[in-house]
Amino acid sequence: MNWFLRGLRRGVKTESKPTSTPPWASSLKVEGNFQGCPTNAIEDGWDSGKCIFCRRCYPSLKPTGDHRMASARGNPMFRRSFYLYPLDVGTCGGCNSELKLISSPQYDMTRFGIFFTNSPRHADGVVIMGVLTEGMREVLKETLDAVPSPKVLILLGACAISGGVVGEGVKIEADVIVPGCPPSPNTILDALIKAKGGKGW
Amino acid sequence: MRFIGKLENLCIYDMGEREDQCQDFSFHAGKSEGYGEFTFVYGPSAGGLTESVQFMIKTSGEQILEIEANPYFKKRKLKFSGRIEDVILTVERINAMFSASHSLSFIIAVERSVDVNVDYEVMMARIIELELERIRNHLHVLHKLAETGALGVASYQLQEMEERTNRLIGEVCGHRYFFSSNWINSVKCNLEKVRLDYLNGFNSFFNDMLENRILIDRFQNNGKIDQDWLIGPAARASGRSYDSRYDSDSLPYKDLGFSPIVERSPDTFGRFLIRGLEILQSIEIIRGALGKAKNVRGGEVKVKGVGSGMSRVESPSGDLVYKVKVDDGFISTSFLPPSKANLSFFLKSVIGTIFTDFPFNWEGFGIWISEIGVEKE
Repeated sequence: MNWFLRGLRRGVKTESKPTSTPPWASSLKVEGNFQGCPTNAIEDGWDSGKCIFCRRCYPSLKPTGDHRMASARGNPMFRRSFYLYPLDVGTCGGCNSELKLISSPQYDMTRFGIFFTNSPRHADGVVIMGVLTEGMREVLKETLDAVPSPKVLILLGACAISGGVVGEGVKIEADVIVPGCPPSPNTILDALIKAKGGKGW
Repeated sequence: MRFIGKLENLCIYDMGEREDQCQDFSFHAGKSEGYGEFTFVYGPSAGGLTESVQFMIKTSGEQILEIEANPYFKKRKLKFSGRIEDVILTVERINAMFSASHSLSFIIAVERSVDVNVDYEVMMARIIELELERIRNHLHVLHKLAETGALGVASYQLQEMEERTNRLIGEVCGHRYFFSSNWINSVKCNLEKVRLDYLNGFNSFFNDMLENRILIDRFQNNGKIDQDWLIGPAARASGRSYDSRYDSDSLPYKDLGFSPIVERSPDTFGRFLIRGLEILQSIEIIRGALGKAKNVRGGEVKVKGVGSGMSRVESPSGDLVYKVKVDDGFISTSFLPPSKANLSFFLKSVIGTIFTDFPFNWEGFGIWISEIGVEKE
């Protein structure tokens, strides 16, 4: 069958609102005391940036189903278009895969003016994923130098934010923090829309 | 007897392992010293690369004459010893796309070390997990191949199916990558929610892709490799029925009438074909296993005693081997990932091809650098 017709026959798959966030990719609600968190994410309340969502604290902490965990310093300068350069400094591949999926028909990031670019020179922001490994330290520095200012720095996932259970986080002053292990496409899209100065997803 | 790889001082074969001299996989292929040749550096961070990896490609202009890969830019130092409940958190995060394969191979090795009797329903649930992971990964690889070939509609439709599979896994097991879903003699998934109706049209969709000459021309005779030691879809595309689901006793696939799908096309096209056909096969395996895995939660088991064990499962890209030592709840482990062999064979298959062929060949192997670039802390 002609691919154009096949595309039309499948209909519109893009969703108007977030759906299908799995429980262990949503924020947690503290309902009791818990000792023994492997990443010390539960001390004075729950720290989403340290949490790897391992379920060990259940039922003292319960998933809420709310994917909006990200914090972002919005920059309206990128309201019309926002080009991102993904940089893997030491991931398990989970953050890479979830980031890629915001381009899938269900999410369609381009309708919000969000795009990927193949060169840091053309980027408005860098999405940094994974624990900071020795070999990628210099690559990170060179990439950040190559992105023209003003630029948005995004830490994606528990590894980049705090190191999670597998290493050290990336110690930079980020504009956007996207918790999760890995963050779901709903959480990522919410964060990126907020980073552009929008209200989120 | 087929050779699978080297794990520390052990040579791993399909019939077992033994301490022996065997060659490790090399990340260098080809030889060139001609006049006017130069080295083209691709990576570690560049467009078209999902993960950080560097290729040093020697060429005289277009044809690739020699290549060396460095998968260690993003080498993570991980802790592979400690309490089992801590080690499994690391094991799951070696490669998220193959997380079920890693965690299950690890857990099966632990169970063997301390002689745990695993319930039959739990083994069937594990098969369902592995096949869901295979469907997700094969869809991902097919999507990347279609995207590389600029076949937009097919590419997005495959990505839509990949996202649907992720959502299904999240709904069934609580997490889109099976994190914290597996434990000794236990699977924390609600299998009653497994519905694969969204893949009903996959057969006709895949047949349409096979009729697209523009795409198929990019695949045929690209990245030819036909030799022993190949694993996973690359082996089966070359006519070898190598498959841990068939020649390992880790899980009872034979009870579901499983036999490997084999083709005689040792190139990107063959690997593409195998992955498409295996999606259809995995759907049937899941449907067969669902009826035999009703009560998946086995009894909680404390790991006690001293012992060692090995396990081999078929990840979406080939054999994945785990070796475990247990000492009263304290575990140390090591593993042999499929991407190591696949990267080595990918580099061999690149020699003689041209730059335009490179991304098709690369995506077709389904290699994940995250599981190669790890070191014991």
